[in-house]
Amino acid sequence: MMKYLLSSAIILLCLACAKLIMHFTGGSFPAPLLAMVILLVLLLAGIVKEEHLKPCASPILNVMPIFFIPAGVGFIEHLNLIKSNWPFLMSVIFIVPASTLLLVSSVMVFFKSRKNND
Amino acid sequence: MTELKPDLWWLCVPIIIALFLLLRAFNTRMENSALRSITNPVFLSIAVIALLLINFNLPYSEFAHHSQLLSWLLEPAIVALALPLYQQFIHVRKNLLLILGTCSLGIVNATFVAFLLSVFFKVPSELSASVAALSVTTPISLIVTDSLGGISSLAAAMVIFIGLLGALFGFMLFRLVKIGSHESQGVAMGTACHAIGTAAALAEHAKVGAFSSVAMALSALLTAIIVPLLYPFLVNSLL
Repeated sequence: MMKYLLSSAIILLCLACAKLIMHFTGGSFPAPLLAMVILLVLLLAGIVKEEHLKPCASPILNVMPIFFIPAGVGFIEHLNLIKSNWPFLMSVIFIVPASTLLLVSSVMVFFKSRKNND
Repeated sequence: MTELKPDLWWLCVPIIIALFLLLRAFNTRMENSALRSITNPVFLSIAVIALLLINFNLPYSEFAHHSQLLSWLLEPAIVALALPLYQQFIHVRKNLLLILGTCSLGIVNATFVAFLLSVFFKVPSELSASVAALSVTTPISLIVTDSLGGISSLAAAMVIFIGLLGALFGFMLFRLVKIGSHESQGVAMGTACHAIGTAAALAEHAKVGAFSSVAMALSALLTAIIVPLLYPFLVNSLL
């Protein structure tokens, strides 16, 4: 029980710290991502151990896709706009990620192979 | 409008969880990789719930309000991504500059391609601004889309669909163009398909997931900086 409490407390404390930092600095960087960076730094510095984090982090990562479902259903709010612009929206949904996936992965492969040859 | 008894709305969260777990159990039984992608449990859960809400004429606002707990849990889940990131950080540290450069390139490409498509289809500026920041995690997309004068809720839905498409077909695309490197796949998935892509990357391989997590985090930071500058520049120069 204690290990679950400790694990969840670490995650929530990082999140709370990040929210406080963003609140007082007034920046627009999302607090969860800042909290992730804070937690990573704590792990790298050895202040937080992997085994402290695992009890809660592993199950939450395992079910992470569930948390997107309510937002995903939100598209039904814009059915009329989607209907009148569906060719444009479909093109964006397919072409934007496909071109980004291909470009980024190809550039990575190119530079990795150049680095390996050097 | 069909009214759902107020005391039944609390069923939203248990129904979402049960539906997702059921569909995931079904999905893991699929041996064919294409069938496994098509029966993605998030995609099917969204489709089933959307159909239920539309069919029974139930208001989305009520559904969103009563499933807030799940949306709230998204934040600690993003924090927990530090764990796979740490586990693979040793491989990432050597390539940090390269990842930073390729992420920036990916973000510029996503905004530029979306802008070109909006010019080609002659859509209103409001819609064009809604698709400027899609290759990023939902909270950043909301903030950036708002700042550009777009419809943030539409952007959020598009972000989810892009993530779903990445999760469904991203690895098929990599196999098609014979890109097998874990680093390249991970960085591309994290840059183009944010957290849903990262979840799929984690399922594919821990190393792909770690690189995807790094790329997702860097993309969030870079999108918040690049897109608010790039989009007005594109509008002023090309329109």
